[in-house]
Amino acid sequence: MKCRRCGELAQVALPSHHTGFCAPCFENYFLRQVERGIHEHKQFTKEDKLVLAVSGGKDSLGLLLALTELGYAVTALHIDLAIPVSSENARSTVEAFCAKHSIPCHILEMAGKGLPIPEVKKKVNRPICSVCGKIKRHWFNRYAFEEGFDVLATGHNLDDEVARLFANTLRWDQAYLAGQGPVMPAEGRFVKKVKPLCRLTEYETAVWCFLKGIDHVLAACPYSGGASFTGHKKLLADLEERSPGMKMQFYGHFLATGKPAFEAVVENAPPLKECSDCGFPSSQDMCGVCRIKRLLES
Amino acid sequence: MVTIVMESTGERHEFRKLNTVIQLLNKLKLKSSEVLVIRGRELLTPDREIGTQGEIRIRHVVSRG
Ligand SMILES: [Zn+2]
Ligand SMILES: [Zn+2]
Repeated sequence: MKCRRCGELAQVALPSHHTGFCAPCFENYFLRQVERGIHEHKQFTKEDKLVLAVSGGKDSLGLLLALTELGYAVTALHIDLAIPVSSENARSTVEAFCAKHSIPCHILEMAGKGLPIPEVKKKVNRPICSVCGKIKRHWFNRYAFEEGFDVLATGHNLDDEVARLFANTLRWDQAYLAGQGPVMPAEGRFVKKVKPLCRLTEYETAVWCFLKGIDHVLAACPYSGGASFTGHKKLLADLEERSPGMKMQFYGHFLATGKPAFEAVVENAPPLKECSDCGFPSSQDMCGVCRIKRLLES
Repeated sequence: MVTIVMESTGERHEFRKLNTVIQLLNKLKLKSSEVLVIRGRELLTPDREIGTQGEIRIRHVVSRG
């Protein structure tokens, strides 16, 4: 297979685009797709103060490098969950990466916030991944808001978005379907949230990381028995193999047609309250994260 | 001999001869979108020929939680 752009031997085949690229042309393509996602959905501009949530995995570190190469000034934000070995590895990977590329990096330690995940796991009866996700989302947003950032970016890719969309559709969850997408506008103490990798698949991000020599965390979190969407991702991969481009179509048509319809339905949802403890938005008097913290203190 | 190394498990497979990457993926029951097929510092597209010697690493692309 030859590179479509320059005719050299291809290293990457992209059936959904009916094309293949050599290494330099793929890197070019990748950066263009990131930029296109940012522009198409009006995610942010070079003037915005931007913070990126980084786990140490390939998507967030790959995005961090892409944004930096595209000329965006971005601060990395990592949450240290205090899980033995795994958190230390993730943190040192992020710190080393940011030092190497001279990217400002901030670490939030959950142990210092009264929320070390191993303790949370002992006290909470629900699946730890959903609780941990809630804690991370709360603190990413809270940090971004309190430090005056305009935009909080995450490394979610097209596969993450499509798997989530599929799960939400299976339940016809109107509120989630209305709220899903590559941009969530700022509202009250919620900062604007964006997903610049929304046009790129997991495969493409993995290729980017390989070609750029990005040293990222490979091991899964010791508490997760596999990511929650793994089953759906397999199913969608089968569909994609049979009709290349299907994922992008499913997601694109949802954004154009489905999402506005669901937004119209949930417009009249009751407004969120302020958490009595931390002041951040909550559906109850006290937000979920403050309730977990209280549970740990008791 | 062609040696195949699965990066996630360290598992190794040996083959006397492999025609193409597609043939290898079929033998391992993998989709081309699920893995990077790495030879040295290079990625191999499904149509690439493999032959009778060398080492190939297989890296899964799906992040696991
Ligand atoms: Zn090329
Ligand atoms: Zn609270």
